[in-house]
This record gives sequence, C-alpha cells and structure tokens, in this order.
Amino acid sequence: MCGRPWQERAAVALAGAVLLASVAAPLVVLAADGVHADARAMLTAASTWSLLAWSSALAALVTAVALTVGVPLGVLLGRTDIVARRAAFLAHAFPMFLPPLLLALGWFHLFGQSGLVGSDATARILFGPAGVVGVLGLAFAPIMTALTMLGLDAIDPSLIEAARLLARPPRITARILVPIAWPAIALGALVVFSLAFSELGVPMFLRVRAYPAAVFARLGGVDYAPGEAFVLVLPQLAIGAALLCIERRAIGRRPLTVLGLRRDRLVFALGAWRPIATAACWAIALLGLAPIAALASRASWRELGSWLGASARNGLIDGAVAATAVTAVGLVIGRGVARAQAPARALDALAVLAFVTPGAVLGAGLIAVWNRPATQLVYGTSAIVVLGYVARYAVLGTRPIAIALARGAASLEDAAATVGAGYLRRLVRIVVPSHARALAGTWLLAFVFCLRDLETAVLCYPPGGETLPVRIFALEANGRPAVVAGLAVLHALITAGVLALGLALLRARRTW
Amino acid sequence: MTPAIELEDVRVRLGATTVLNGFRLQVAAGELVTLLGPSGSGKTSVIRAILGFIAPDAGVIKLGGRVASESGRTVIPPEQRGVGAVFQDLALWPHLTVHGNLAFGLARLRRDERDRRIAAILDRVGLADKAYRHPGELSGGERQRVAIARALVLEPKVVALDEPLANLDVLLKRDLVELFTALLRERATAALYVTHDPAEAEALADRVAVIQAGRLVQAGTIAELRAQPAAPLVEQLLSPRRKPNAG
Repeated sequence: MCGRPWQERAAVALAGAVLLASVAAPLVVLAADGVHADARAMLTAASTWSLLAWSSALAALVTAVALTVGVPLGVLLGRTDIVARRAAFLAHAFPMFLPPLLLALGWFHLFGQSGLVGSDATARILFGPAGVVGVLGLAFAPIMTALTMLGLDAIDPSLIEAARLLARPPRITARILVPIAWPAIALGALVVFSLAFSELGVPMFLRVRAYPAAVFARLGGVDYAPGEAFVLVLPQLAIGAALLCIERRAIGRRPLTVLGLRRDRLVFALGAWRPIATAACWAIALLGLAPIAALASRASWRELGSWLGASARNGLIDGAVAATAVTAVGLVIGRGVARAQAPARALDALAVLAFVTPGAVLGAGLIAVWNRPATQLVYGTSAIVVLGYVARYAVLGTRPIAIALARGAASLEDAAATVGAGYLRRLVRIVVPSHARALAGTWLLAFVFCLRDLETAVLCYPPGGETLPVRIFALEANGRPAVVAGLAVLHALITAGVLALGLALLRARRTW
Repeated sequence: MTPAIELEDVRVRLGATTVLNGFRLQVAAGELVTLLGPSGSGKTSVIRAILGFIAPDAGVIKLGGRVASESGRTVIPPEQRGVGAVFQDLALWPHLTVHGNLAFGLARLRRDERDRRIAAILDRVGLADKAYRHPGELSGGERQRVAIARALVLEPKVVALDEPLANLDVLLKRDLVELFTALLRERATAALYVTHDPAEAEALADRVAVIQAGRLVQAGTIAELRAQPAAPLVEQLLSPRRKPNAG
C-alpha cells in the first residue's frame, strides 16, 4: 500500500543523521575524552560529588516549587471559570520564554541592596540558595502550568461527566483529573528538573555554587582546563541518562492524551470562591512579570545600540534556522513516533536524552567534536550554535508533532497511499497541510526556546556570533546595571513581539 | 404514582441549533423505556439534560417528582441527582482499577459496606475475579459489565444509558442486553436507554419512545407502535419486515 518505501527510510536516516551529528557524536566523544589519567582522581573526589548532590538538591527544590505553584494554577486556569483566565495564563506564561538570568536581574533590581524594595535582609535572601530556588521556581512554574493544562485538556470529557454524577469538583480534581493528567505533569517535572539542573546564569549571578558553573569555569573562565571539563560533565551525563530512563519508564509508555469521542472542554463553576481564586491566579501571574517591570524602571536606553552590537540579529537568525531544522526533524521523527515505528522511537529517545542532559554537557561535547582544523567551517561560524540548538531542542519538535499526528486520523495518509502517493508526497501534500497549525506552533516554540538559550550558546558561540542572552551574561558581571537592564528589556520585547506575531498568525489560520 | 423521570415541553438549544423542541416523556418507577431515533435526532441531548449536564432553555425536568432543571436553570447539580449513567464510550477511568471505578461514588459509605456492595455487584456481572484489573486489561464485554456495575452499585432509582452497546458484535450485544435487562428488573430501576437499533429497543424495553428532530413522535409498547404507527419513521423503524440492525 505504501509506495516508494525508500523515501521514508531516507528521510528517517537524514533526520537521524542530524541527531547523531548533533547529539550522539558529542556525547560519545565526550565520554571517550573523559577517560584519561586524571579522570579517576576527579571523579572520586568528594568535592565533585558534593557539588553534584548540592546542584541536584537545588534542582529538586526548584521542581517542588514549580509543582506547588504550577499544578494548582493549571487546574484553575484550565478547568474553572476564573475571570479572564486566558489573559491570566498569557501573563503567567510569558516569563517562561525568557532566559531565567533576565528574571534574576529583575529580582535584583527589586530586592537587591539598592533595589526598589530592597534591603540588606532581602539581598541576603536573594543572593543565596533560597533566592536561586525562588527565582527558578517562579521562572519554571509556567511550564508546569502549561503542561498541566495540556494534560487536563486532553482528557475525554465523558470521563469527567461520569465523575460529575458522583462527586463535587474538588474530589474530581484530586481523584480523576490530576491522576489522569499525571503523564503530562510528570513530564513537566522532568523538564523543570532538567532545566534547573542545567541552569548556569542564575546561580552564577546570585553567587551560589552549582555544578554547571564549575564546568563553565573550565571551558571559558579563569580555570580554563577543557580536559577537566570533559571529565566533570560525565556525572551530569549519567544523570541525563537516568532522567531518560525515568521518562521512558514512567512517562514515555503512557500516552499524554486520553482521547475520547468529544473535544469540548468542561469548566467547573467556582461559585463563591471565584473572586478569591481569580485574585490568587492574577497575583501569581503578575508576580512573574514584576522582575520585568523592575528592569524596565531601571533601564537606560542611551548607547544601547553600541552595547547591543549584532547580538540580537545573531540570535534571531540562529534561532530561526535552528527552529526550521527542529521542525523538519520533528516532522519526520514525530510522524514515526505517532505511527509507533521503532527507529523513530529510538531517535525520539535520543532527542529526550539531549534535552534532559545539561546544556554544559552538550556544549562541551560540541567543542570536543567540532573544534578541529578540518571543521572550522562549522566550529568557527554560527553553524555550531545552530547545531547546539538543534541538539538541545529537537525534542520540542518530535513530541508536539507526534502528539498532533497521533490525534489526527492516520486514514488521511492511508487514503493518499491507496491512490499511489509515496512517502514524500503524502508528507508534503497531506500531513503538512492538515497539521499546519501544529507545525507552525512547533516552529514558534522551538524558535522562542532558542532565543532564550544561554547554556548551550555560551560555551560554543564563535567570535562575533554571540547571542543577546550571551551578551547580557557577559556584561552582567562588569557592565553598567542600567545598560544590562536595557538589554534585558529589549530581549523581553523581542520575545513578546515574536510571540504576539506568531500567535496572531496561528490564530488567523485557525480554520486548519 | 410519581414518575421516576418526567420531561415537560423541554427545549434545548446548542448554539444556533435547537436540539430538543417541546420534548415530553415520562418514565414510571421501575419501567424500562428505550429512546429510539436516527442519528442527530436529539437522543443524547435528552440523556445529558436528565443527567444535568445541560439545562433546558424552556420546560421542566423532574426526577422522582422533584424539579431537577427548569428554564435555563439547573436546580439539582449532577452529583446530587442520584442518577446512574452508562456512557456510549463507557467513560471508565483508566487509572483506577475496577474496584476503584466502583468505589469512587461510594466515598460516604464505611469501607466494609462499600466493599460488600462492590463484591456483590461484581459477582452479579461475573467479574468477581477482575476487581483489581485496570480497564485497559479487560475485554470489550468486560468493560461494558464494569460500566453497568458502576452505574448500579449506587443503587440509583434511575439509570440513563446512552447507546452503551453501540460498538459491539451481535452475539456479545445479545448477552449484554439480557444482563442489563435482568439487572435493571431485579432492582426495579427505572431506565431510559438510548439506541438507534430497533432490535435492541425491542429486546430491552417495556415501552419505546421514538424521537425525531428533537420531538417525541410516539411512545408505547412495541405492539402498539407497530399496530398504529403515528409517523412514517415509526413504521420504518419498527416494521417486522425490517432486518434487525446489528449495530
């Protein structure tokens, strides 16, 4: 029935080659380079493991804060009649698309010693573990909120109606909604832990020791020793592999959606609790925007152009190219995952591994693979940053597209196959047009995540190729605070513009 | 005697479409009525209005003589109506075991009483040994049995069934129709059973109500409807020469 099977094999092989070059090769080379005489001493040092445990504990606490804030908010915004809940969600979600370092800078302008509402006491709390956990917890809570809403949205309404005949909304939420949405919530927790464990900018800015900072110091800082860095990332690689195992066992085998016959969304009326719940939701949403407001109040716009250089343009171009590659790779692999094909599932696992592996590991691996005389065309140009983005964010292409295709009817493609359409023709003429909104949404998500990336780009950007988050990170230590605040606000505005434009275009083509 | 279910001149609009228009029906206590009609005739809307998921724009819905909904207002919320339901897609909660699915609605009972009731109904539907399986581990017929057990374990006075056997093969459907009928009769539970299959309607019901375009066309026993069909649709659906619909 499926003509020209070589086309599908070639497409999967090509997508696989991209992932192997950007993910597998760096990790393999890194592991091989890590095996040298000093490795044993470094890996058995108590300081290495205590720092790793400390960073893991911080990431776990960040995850706990994000879960505590995000899951209730996801339920309230996703399944109740909160006033203007869509606007509240957009306000709450926006900080998720900014580098957490920007938010830390904003909190500094609020609670630092000379902050708008700062004092010695608030500065002591901010510049410590509690500050890191609070800043990152609030920064990543929207991820939990969004995934909780996604999980709840995918529940067949008849499952909820069956429960509504027997119990009141609080019990339905605790016993039916949240447990059924568990795969999405668990995925959110995994994503938040991975991002928090990878985070470089916030702990460094708030002067809290963290494992990624130790790796970074050996690759681009005062303790330059790339060999040591390659050894140091091995435990992180092991944690990334452990997170992949958790994802495969606890989440990957269960569908993110419990699909039924109907797609309408049932909403619980909060009754007398509506004003209180609305106030709480909006308070959390506005709290997330407070650091951006603080940055705006302290920003200087004079001479911003000279400090900005080409960084904004670099980020936009690199991000757009990477997002296009992520979407293309995601289309091929995501389709294979939706059709339960083993090679696609293996490549999807590789993409998950790259995402849960700290950015410093990927960055170090890319350096190890591509920093050679023969490959300067890649390593010496922005191609290395694009490669890093594709590696880190490939999963943002494979998963949403797999879910979208799984929700659609496979028979659309089958019908095309019966009249002789080969794989590429079906992909271009049937799959892409019928899932255009999902693909456009995927591209937008990947693009915004590339724009906000610091951890991957900071380790491997070429001379003159730094992105805006990298520029802010570099200036934060010794630049004028008002200029840094200006650059941060500019980044927030660029992100807001991209999101607004993207969402407007997506909405305009809603008929798909 | 007070009817178990009473719909008086019920009108329901969904968006721009009027799905029920002056619909009237009574189901007596312990009576089994099938609601028969073609696709899009408003059958499911009748069930959803009785369950309290949609409020009628006009008219009254009474359960056991109490006003449950009237003219744009839900008087009794779904969880307080005491109506059991079996949904077309069964709506078994996938993360709960069979026991968990049945226990969810019995939270107010003491644990021993709850377990006794669950064991009794599972024994009756032949699933005593499957209590701790998840729905995904059961066959299609077993899932149907769990769905009817979940509806009846609450010992409701009224059960609403929305095409629960729509996707089953003929043999399995026949077995389950017999089981459903026996269970409902031995508990004297009033039931409104939605179907588009005349054979199913005939096998189950004391009375058949035929619905078309949101209106009740005719209600009565199969014999009455066959003897004096009030509309061509009734004749078409219940003609003895009509080949039974396998589903």
